[in-house]
Amino acid sequence: MRHVIFRVEKERYGLPLSAVREVVVPPERFTRVPRAPSAITGVMNLRGRVVTVVELRQLLGLPEGGTPQARVVLLDRGRRDLGLLVTDVDGIEAVERVSAAPGKLTPAIRGVARLGGLGVTVLDPEGLDAAVVALFTHSK
Amino acid sequence: MTMDMSRYLGLFISEASEHLEALGRDLVQLEREGSSSAVDSMFRHAHSVKGMASSMGFEPIAILAHRVEDLVDAVRQDRGRLDRDLVDLLLSASDTLLAQVRAVAEGRPPEDPAALLAQLGARVTAMTGHAPSATRVAKVTVLKSDGDGTGGDDPGGGGGASGSGSSGAGGASGAGSSGTGGSSGSGAAGAGGTSGTSPSGTGGSSGSGVSGPGGTSGTSPSGTGGSSGSGVSGPGGTSGTSPSGTGGSSGSGAAGVGGTSGTSLSGTSGSSGADSSGSARGHGPGASGASGVSGEGVSPGAVGAESRGASVGPVSTGEAGISGTGPPAASGVSSGSGDGASASGAPGSGAGVPPAAPRLSAPDASTGGTGASSGNLATGPVLADPASSRVVSELGHALKAASSGPLPGDAPEGRSTQRWAVRLRIAPTCQVPGVRAFLVHKRLTNLGTLLDLRPALEELKAGRIPDGYIQLELETSVGDTGIHASLKNVAEVEVVSVKPAIALPIALPVAPPAAEGARGATGDSSSRTVRVRTELLDYFLDTVGELMLATARLREVGKVLPETVRPALEEGVYRLHTLVKDLHDKVMTARMTPLSLITDRLPRAARDIARRKEREVDLVITGAEIELDRAILDELADPLLHLLRNCIDHGLESPEERLAAKKGPRGRVLVAVKRARDRVIIELEDDGRGMNPAKLKAAAVARGLLTPEAAARMTDREAFMLSCLPGVSTAKDVTDISGRGVGMDAVKRVVENVGGTLEIDSEPGRGTRFTLRLPLTVAVVHLLLVEVGEEVFGLPIAKVVGATEADGDALSRSRETALLPHGNSLLPVHALDMLVGVPAPARQGLRPFVVMEGDAGRVALGVDRLLGQEEVVLKPLSRPLDLLPGLSGVTILGSGRPVFILDVPRLLSA
Repeated sequence: MRHVIFRVEKERYGLPLSAVREVVVPPERFTRVPRAPSAITGVMNLRGRVVTVVELRQLLGLPEGGTPQARVVLLDRGRRDLGLLVTDVDGIEAVERVSAAPGKLTPAIRGVARLGGLGVTVLDPEGLDAAVVALFTHSK
Repeated sequence: MTMDMSRYLGLFISEASEHLEALGRDLVQLEREGSSSAVDSMFRHAHSVKGMASSMGFEPIAILAHRVEDLVDAVRQDRGRLDRDLVDLLLSASDTLLAQVRAVAEGRPPEDPAALLAQLGARVTAMTGHAPSATRVAKVTVLKSDGDGTGGDDPGGGGGASGSGSSGAGGASGAGSSGTGGSSGSGAAGAGGTSGTSPSGTGGSSGSGVSGPGGTSGTSPSGTGGSSGSGVSGPGGTSGTSPSGTGGSSGSGAAGVGGTSGTSLSGTSGSSGADSSGSARGHGPGASGASGVSGEGVSPGAVGAESRGASVGPVSTGEAGISGTGPPAASGVSSGSGDGASASGAPGSGAGVPPAAPRLSAPDASTGGTGASSGNLATGPVLADPASSRVVSELGHALKAASSGPLPGDAPEGRSTQRWAVRLRIAPTCQVPGVRAFLVHKRLTNLGTLLDLRPALEELKAGRIPDGYIQLELETSVGDTGIHASLKNVAEVEVVSVKPAIALPIALPVAPPAAEGARGATGDSSSRTVRVRTELLDYFLDTVGELMLATARLREVGKVLPETVRPALEEGVYRLHTLVKDLHDKVMTARMTPLSLITDRLPRAARDIARRKEREVDLVITGAEIELDRAILDELADPLLHLLRNCIDHGLESPEERLAAKKGPRGRVLVAVKRARDRVIIELEDDGRGMNPAKLKAAAVARGLLTPEAAARMTDREAFMLSCLPGVSTAKDVTDISGRGVGMDAVKRVVENVGGTLEIDSEPGRGTRFTLRLPLTVAVVHLLLVEVGEEVFGLPIAKVVGATEADGDALSRSRETALLPHGNSLLPVHALDMLVGVPAPARQGLRPFVVMEGDAGRVALGVDRLLGQEEVVLKPLSRPLDLLPGLSGVTILGSGRPVFILDVPRLLSA
């Protein structure tokens, strides 16, 4: 299956191409969301739509550290306008054979795969969605 | 051929739900007023649901509906049988039916409520002395009747079609397949084609054309018995009764009739719509249906004639022909079917039409009689092949059927002209399509009157013919053979189809005689409606909102252009703005929905609550026809219900207490809707014990929400509003209905979130009144824009009391909270940056404060800068943002910047 491959710092991640609507350059500044969990970078105006942007690093519980801003991967999730803030997007590659990921299980991660001799973490679109909603429901 | 029923599933769901909701309403009304029209209408609803369900193959629904129908029928024979328990039983059956329909909507099989069925069955046996009869359910895969295939494509056919619907019916049945048939479409006529036999028993329903639904029913094989539709709006399926049906439409309605087997009610009458629903019902299959009664009173023309001649064989069909016209004709020809429907509105027409009635032909059609014809068509088949009736024709047929309609053979032909839909194709290889097309045009105009040529003649001559297809309608007396003959030797032209056309492209329930021949132009436009999914309207609104934002953005961009080019751009932007604004208005209008959508549910709820609490209550609702934006309506459903519960549960006293207080034993709750300029006011008032301000104050003080001093200063009116604070309730006992102190705060919140206000007024011993003032639409809000740190937020102007400047450090404090002097009171101060959690540099010296209404009195919000007012298009928050407390929406400013609109009371409480 074809996946969009992108990076957060050095780590590589993949999302099924069908789950990605487009990749855009983030605006100069995001509008901050009142009382939102810290993983929420803010909202941006994408051609008249208000898109909520989440920092993938924090969503996945990676160690703290800024994401040098580079790209926003917009998920194609119906009317939910959700974007992931990532370091950079490498391209589209065919990813086969996803095996279980090491470490603790989270619904957002489907597994790992080998791509060009290196590992890539394959994300699960539904799981990501659920993880974002969980951020909001737990933060209160 | 099997057929994909899913296309009709949506229609089934919406229609069945409507019928069931109406059934519940009728029950409550019947119990209260005992009017016989409610019984008839209930019967029709139950019957319609049964028919629709059986034709869709939903056996559990059909069986349950059948039982309800049996019981209602028993009540109709003897009103004395209706007691409270029976009403309860019927209500729970209609609830179960609704649940079943909902299950179907969600893709689950409907449950089989064995216990309930047993109860209902026992009741039927007890009341009628014999066991309930079996319900026959159609197999879902059904043979298609030939005719209809085409129907589908006939564009005109579409809705309007129905007009013709008539034929629809015919078609369906015509096709022979099924007996059922009858539905007719459109308009009118409900033709009843009914076949007694048809398993489903249905009669013809007729729908109305226009709006789809009706059609459906029309279609539905099972259709209901004579329901007829009204042309107008969809609901048509329901029967003749529908008042609205009236008029011309009713014409349609009228016809309904069918003698369906046993059951049907008959449609009623024609014209005029009188709401007569007379019901005729024949019983037993063999019996013939009976009388078609037409409503009396009907217009002269329409008489319900019932002919039973038709009934062929085993089946019995009686149908009532209602034809305004000479009854004989009707019956004769069509054997009974109701053709006449026609009568429609105009008496005149009825008359005029006579022989022709049955015919689809244009002329009479236009007279309003549109539907008329159908009737007979429908029947035709029935007669012809009773046996086949077993095969139910699918829904749908009829819809399309329209086009396939009439069986050419059986109407008095030749004498009158008939309208034909002709479809031609110019061979793709043709070098001179324009010439060929012109030739065709010329030949056909020699035969009669050419109508509705597509593409238009100019396009044809120029050879602009998409895919080579030409379609037109021709009124001629030469018949289809004549048309074929005249086109036979035009080279490179293939005649795709020649079919009897439906008379009007759109069913016009009210077609004044004067309209003769003028297609489409006739009829009052208000009756031409279509059903649109609400999501589509939401999408339109979203898109128009984005268009407005895009326009604002363009204008901003234009500001930096050099003077030389700017005027042209500005002019363009201005024009765009005007157009978009206009479109926005139109979209908003399309979203307006009458309040009855939600108030219709109140009587039933009132009954349930009153019954549980052993109270007696009269609920009076006025002004429910007033319209509001659908988005607001959706939000209001729960709050209104909650307020009603409060009124009955807490407001009204028990009958004994009322008598002791020298009031009548029955409590009264009044729901009055009024329109005042750009607001809609809903008042909900009871004549119960009223609220006690002192108790409310005490409760609030006890919960620490209010200081005793503040309580002492409060006016009664302010005190009543305390009931909207979470946790404040003076109810002595917490019941399962209300009294837990939650709810009123939710009511207030909802009302305010849609931009409205809530007021409470009460007088001990006299009652309580809740007043909701609501905007007509929610989409546009006025904001005060404020800046905090680097962020901009919008505050709804409606909640802003004023703004002032003060030195934050110089304010006096009480328990860490700064207090701002305002008027002659001290307001608690909140720094907005802290409230929303955005960083802002510490400030020294003077800063602006915005004074706003909060839940527990006014508050002052410290901000960094006031940016001014703006009118913006509110966008609802999409997931996950809607999970955050304190935000009521988001908008995009002209600069392209998204800005959140704050819900200050929630920010403070969350």
